[in-house]
Amino acid sequence: MSSPAPAASLDRLVSQVISPGLCVACGACLGLCPHLLFLDGQVAAPDPCGLEQGRCAQLCPVANRPPATEPAEGPLGRVKTAYAARAKAADLEGKAQYGGVVSTLAALALSEGLVGEAVLTAQGPRGVPQGVRATSREDILEAAGSIYAGAGTLGLLNQALSEKADHPLALVGLPCQILAASRMKGHEKYPDAERIGLSIGLFCTMNLPGRGLRALLKENGISGPVERSDFPPPPAGIFQVWSGGEYYELPLEQVRELRYPGCAGCPDLTAEGADISVGACEGREGWNTVLVRSGPGEALINLAANLELIELEPAAAESLEHLGSAATAKRTRAAEEQNSA
Amino acid sequence: MPDVSALTPGAKVLLQGNEAIARGALEGGVSLAAAYPGNPSSEILQTLAESAEGAGIYAEWSTNEKVALESAAAASFAGLRAMASMKQNGVNVALDFICNLTISGSQGGIVLVTCDDPSGVSSTNEQDARFVARTAVLPLLEPATPAECLAMMRLAFDLSEQIGNLVVLRSLSRLSHTRAGVVPGPLPPAGPKPYWDPKQAWFTIPVVPRHQAMLDKLAKAGEILGAAGLNRYDGPEEPELLVIASGSARLYADEARRMLGAGERVGILHLAWTWPLDKELVLKHLAATDKVLIAEELDPFVDTAVKSLYAANAAELGIKHFFGQDSGHTPCIGELSPGKLATALAGILGLPWQEVDPDYAQRLETALTLAAPREVGFCPGCPHRASYWSMKQVLAADGREGIVSGDIGCYTLGVLSTGFKRVNAVHCMGSGLGVASGLGKLRDRGFDQPVISVVGDSTFFHAALPGLVNARWNNSDYVLVVLDNSATAMTGFQPHPGTGQTAMGQPGTPVDVEQVCRGLGLPHAVVDPYDLAATQEALYDALQQGGGVRVLIFRRLCALVQGKQGGHPHSISVDPEICRGEDCGCNRYCTRVFRCPGLVFDEDSGRARVDEVVCVGCGVCAQVCPAGAIKLSPKEAAA
Amino acid sequence: MKALGHDPLDIVITGVGGQGNVLASQVLGRALLTAGYEVTVGETYGLSQRGGPVMSQVRLSSGPVLGPLMPEHRATAIVSLEPLEALRVLGTYGHPDVIVITNDRPLRPLAVLAGEQAYPGDQELKSTLASLCARLWALPATEAALELGNHILANVVLLGALCALELMPIGANEVEEALASMFPEKLMGPNRAALARGAELLKEG
Repeated sequence: MSSPAPAASLDRLVSQVISPGLCVACGACLGLCPHLLFLDGQVAAPDPCGLEQGRCAQLCPVANRPPATEPAEGPLGRVKTAYAARAKAADLEGKAQYGGVVSTLAALALSEGLVGEAVLTAQGPRGVPQGVRATSREDILEAAGSIYAGAGTLGLLNQALSEKADHPLALVGLPCQILAASRMKGHEKYPDAERIGLSIGLFCTMNLPGRGLRALLKENGISGPVERSDFPPPPAGIFQVWSGGEYYELPLEQVRELRYPGCAGCPDLTAEGADISVGACEGREGWNTVLVRSGPGEALINLAANLELIELEPAAAESLEHLGSAATAKRTRAAEEQNSA
Repeated sequence: MPDVSALTPGAKVLLQGNEAIARGALEGGVSLAAAYPGNPSSEILQTLAESAEGAGIYAEWSTNEKVALESAAAASFAGLRAMASMKQNGVNVALDFICNLTISGSQGGIVLVTCDDPSGVSSTNEQDARFVARTAVLPLLEPATPAECLAMMRLAFDLSEQIGNLVVLRSLSRLSHTRAGVVPGPLPPAGPKPYWDPKQAWFTIPVVPRHQAMLDKLAKAGEILGAAGLNRYDGPEEPELLVIASGSARLYADEARRMLGAGERVGILHLAWTWPLDKELVLKHLAATDKVLIAEELDPFVDTAVKSLYAANAAELGIKHFFGQDSGHTPCIGELSPGKLATALAGILGLPWQEVDPDYAQRLETALTLAAPREVGFCPGCPHRASYWSMKQVLAADGREGIVSGDIGCYTLGVLSTGFKRVNAVHCMGSGLGVASGLGKLRDRGFDQPVISVVGDSTFFHAALPGLVNARWNNSDYVLVVLDNSATAMTGFQPHPGTGQTAMGQPGTPVDVEQVCRGLGLPHAVVDPYDLAATQEALYDALQQGGGVRVLIFRRLCALVQGKQGGHPHSISVDPEICRGEDCGCNRYCTRVFRCPGLVFDEDSGRARVDEVVCVGCGVCAQVCPAGAIKLSPKEAAA
Repeated sequence: MKALGHDPLDIVITGVGGQGNVLASQVLGRALLTAGYEVTVGETYGLSQRGGPVMSQVRLSSGPVLGPLMPEHRATAIVSLEPLEALRVLGTYGHPDVIVITNDRPLRPLAVLAGEQAYPGDQELKSTLASLCARLWALPATEAALELGNHILANVVLLGALCALELMPIGANEVEEALASMFPEKLMGPNRAALARGAELLKEG
C-alpha cells in the first residue's frame, strides 16, 4: 500500500528515495539548492524546502525510473559503431581502467577546445570518491581509474552549470548520471543545462556506497587509501584492490551484498543516452569496448584515432552479443524490481 | 551593579531586591560572600563584588554552589560572617553539604540565600527550595519587599551566630528583580581577624546526639524570631476569613483585600519567617476565625505545617475550613498575583468580583489571535546558532539518527527552533555529560546512534567534570562539544575559571579546557564555529572515529561580549540581483531555515535583506546563502 | 508632591528583550522616588532577554507599599517599545480605560521572519489597539531615535511622551535628573533631545 505522494518535490525525494535508502549518490539533486548536502558519499536533506516545483525529484533517476523495456534499436540502445579500443599514451599506464579510452577522449575534448571543462569522478577524502572539475589533461590524469562508489558527481556538474560561462561541458558518468544529465538538458527550468556538450558513459553492473565499502575494506585489513579497484570479468568471482602498494582480493559475494539497493531497479547497463559509452572488453586485457552513439561522439573518436591517441578495431560480434545478453539480463532484473516495487 | 557600600545611611534609595540583600549582608557584617551565577540570584554577588573593595570584604564566584557554601562555611569556622547565594537549582547542588553542615554547626554567622523562580522565568524548573529548611532543620526567612530583604539579611547573621547554625533566606524572582525605596543603615566596623582554634573541630559524629542538638537550635531560633516580632497580624480581631500569607503573597493578599473593600471581614497574618512555624501566633489567630486561606507561592509549605498544627489542636480549636491549594482557590504552579487572590477571596466570601468586563474580554480574545508568539532565540551573531547549524547538518549527513545531550546555559535554547530543535535532552548543570556517558555505554547492547554532548565553558567547570572523568574511566563512546564562548552569558557575563578573572576583577589563573582534556588523556581539537565548513568536517570526523570520548572545543566569543569590545569588522548586505528569494534553489533559506533575526524577508521585493538595527556583522549567513548573495564589506569607520 | 489622579498609578513598560525596557523602568522609578512617591518597579528578565517579550511594571501610590505585580486588567497606562507587545500586554492588563503609548516600529518575531506566522498589517494593528484602550498614541519613536543618532534612544523618547501626559505626577525635568544621575554628562545631550522629542510627538499625535 502506498501513501499519497507528498506535494513538495524535496519531500518526495526524501520519502521515496533518501529515507528508504534507495539513493545511489549520482548527485543529480546536489548543487541546485542548499537543502541537499553530500558528505562522505551520502546525500542528506536536513530541512524541508516546501516548494512543489523543485528540480531535485524531477531529475532523480531513482524517483523517476526509465522504462525497463528494450529500446527499438536493440539491447545496447542506439549504436552507430562499436569498437575495441585502447589508448596509446604512456602516461596513462597503470592508472586508467582497461584501455584508458575514457581519459584519452576527455583530455582530447579539453585540449581541442570542444569543451571548456569536464566533470568526472576521482578519489576523495576518507577513501570515498568525489566529483571533480577538470580543465586540463593533468586534471584528467589525476582522476584516471575507476572507483566503484557513489560520488555525487552531478553536484559538481550542477555547480559548474550555475556559473556564468558559455563554454560547453563534458560529463563522464555512470548510466544513472547520463540519464539525469539528459533530463537536465531537456528541463524547461534548467536552461543552463544546454551547455552539456559531451557525455561519456561508463558500463555499470553495480555501484557501491562509499561508507559501506570503506567499512568492508577495514574489516579486511585495508585502511589506507585505495589506489585502484576492479571487478575482473567472470568467472573470477573476486574484487581486486590495490592499496598502500599492496594487492588484495575480496570475495565478490561480500562486495555484491553491499551494493546500493537503489541500483536494482536500473535497466541500463551501457549508458544508452551517452554520446560514447565505454566499458571492459571481454577477453582482451588492456582493451575497452566502445559504443559510439551520436555524431559528436563519432567525430571525437575519429579525431582521437587520426591523432593516433588510440588504436581502434571493430568490436568482435561475439563480444557484442555477450554484452547485449548482459544488458538484457540487467533490464529483466530491473523490470522485476520495478514491478515488485 | 552599584557599589552599595557607598550608600548614605538614612537616605532612601531605589534598590533592587538583590541589591538590598547585598546591602543587608554588608550591614550584617559579612566578610566573605561566594556564589555561582544563576538567575534570579546573580545580582547579589555581582553587587557584593562591585562593593567588595569599598566594604573591605572578599567576594568570589565559585565553580559551583556547593563549593560556594563550603567556602562560606570555612569563613564561619574561622569566626567570620559569611554567605552563599544561589538559585533554587543551586540548593540541590549544595544540599549534601548543607545536610552535614547543619549537624556540625557553625561559628560566625552564615546565611544561605536562595532565589526561587516561580513560572521558571529563567530556569529549567520552578522548584520550591524551602524544602531545605525542613530537610536540614534550618530557620527560614521570607522577605516580601526590598526593604525587608535588607533588614532580614542583617537579622539573619545575628540569628545564625546565636543558634550556631546556617540560616536560610528565600527570595523569589519577582522580589529579587523588584526595585523599591530602601533606607540603608550603618555599616559595621570590619570583622575580627579570622582564627580557627586548632582544638575546635567541626564534624557530625556522633550523629544521634548531634541530631538532637540540631533540633534544639531550630527551637531556639523560633524563640528568638518570635521575640523579634517580625510576624504580624493586620485585620479585625475576629475576622470572617484569616489569610495566612508569606513572601510576595502577603502584598498580593493585602491588595486583593483592598480591591474588594473587604477590610472588615478579612484579616491577614503576615509570616516573615516560615520555619519553624510560629506556632503560638498561628494558634492564636486560628482560634479567632472559622475560615482560613493559606497564600504562598509554589509548594504547600506553610499550608501543611499549619494544617498539621491544627490537627494536633483540633480538639480545642473546633472545626475550621481551610482554603488554598487543596481547595483549588490558589495555584501550586506558576506565580501568584493580586488578581488570583482577589478571585479566591471573592469566591470564599461570596463577594461580587469581575476581573475584566466580559465584552472587553471577548474583544481581547479576538484581538490576541493577531499576536504571533515571540519565541526566545539566540542573539544575532551568537556562535551557538552557527554551532547548532553545523550539528544539524552533520548529524543529517551522518545519517545514523544521532542524539544530542544538552546542558544548562544559553545553548539550552538548542531545544527551540533557534537551535533547530537539535537538542534531545536537557536537565540540570552537567547532566548532559552523564546522560551521554550512559548512552555511549549502550554500544554492547546494540545502540548504534552517534552521541554528542554539548556543554558551555562555565558549565564545564561547574558540574561536567565528574561526568567526563566517568566517561573516560569507563570508556564511553561519544563526542563532547564544548561551546566555549568565554562567558557565563546567560546570567550576565560573570567570569569563570576559563576566563582567568575573578569576581573582584583581579587576574586569576585561567583553567583551560584543553589542559583538562590533556590531563585526562582525551583527544581534542579547537574549531571556530563561525567557520561552518571546517566545523562540519571536524565534527563529522569525530563522529566517525568511535571508541572513547573525543572532545571538540567550539571557540568563539559571545556575540554580546564581542559587541562590547567593538563588534565585528564587517557590515552585511544582500545583493537583491543575486538573491533567489522564493525560487527553487533557495526558497528563503536564510530567513526560513537559518533564522537569524538580523535577516528579514522583504515580502514586497521578494528578496531577503539585512536589518541593520539588528545585524551585528558576524557573516555566518554569507556561508549559508546558496547564491552568494550575502556580501561582507568592511564596516565604515564611525563618523 | 502632586496628588495622584490614579491611586495606585500602574504603568506597564513593555517591549522585546534588548530594547532598553528595564532601563526605562529604572529611570522612571528613580525619578518618582526622588519626587517623594512610594514606588515599586517590577522587572522581568532572564531568559526573555534573548529576544522574548519583556515587561516591567512601575507602580506608585501615596499609601501602602505595593507588590511587584499589578492586578490583572487594572493598568493605568501601557508604554510599549514594540506595537505587537502592546497588544500582548493588553491581553493581561488591558481594560477599556487604559492609555497606550507605543512605538510604531514592528520587530518581527522569529516565527514571522521564518514565514510561519503572520505579523498584522500596520493599520490593522493600530485600529485593534485603538479599539482596546481609551486613547492610543502610536509614535515613530525608533525613527525619532535614529534621527538623534541611535535607535536605542527610543525608550527615552517614549518616556518623554509618557511624562507629557496629564495623569503623570512628574514631568520631563524629573526624568532628566534621574537620567543625569545614571549617565555621564556627554550622553545627556541626546537623552534630553529624546525626552523633548517624545513630548512633542505626544502633543502632535
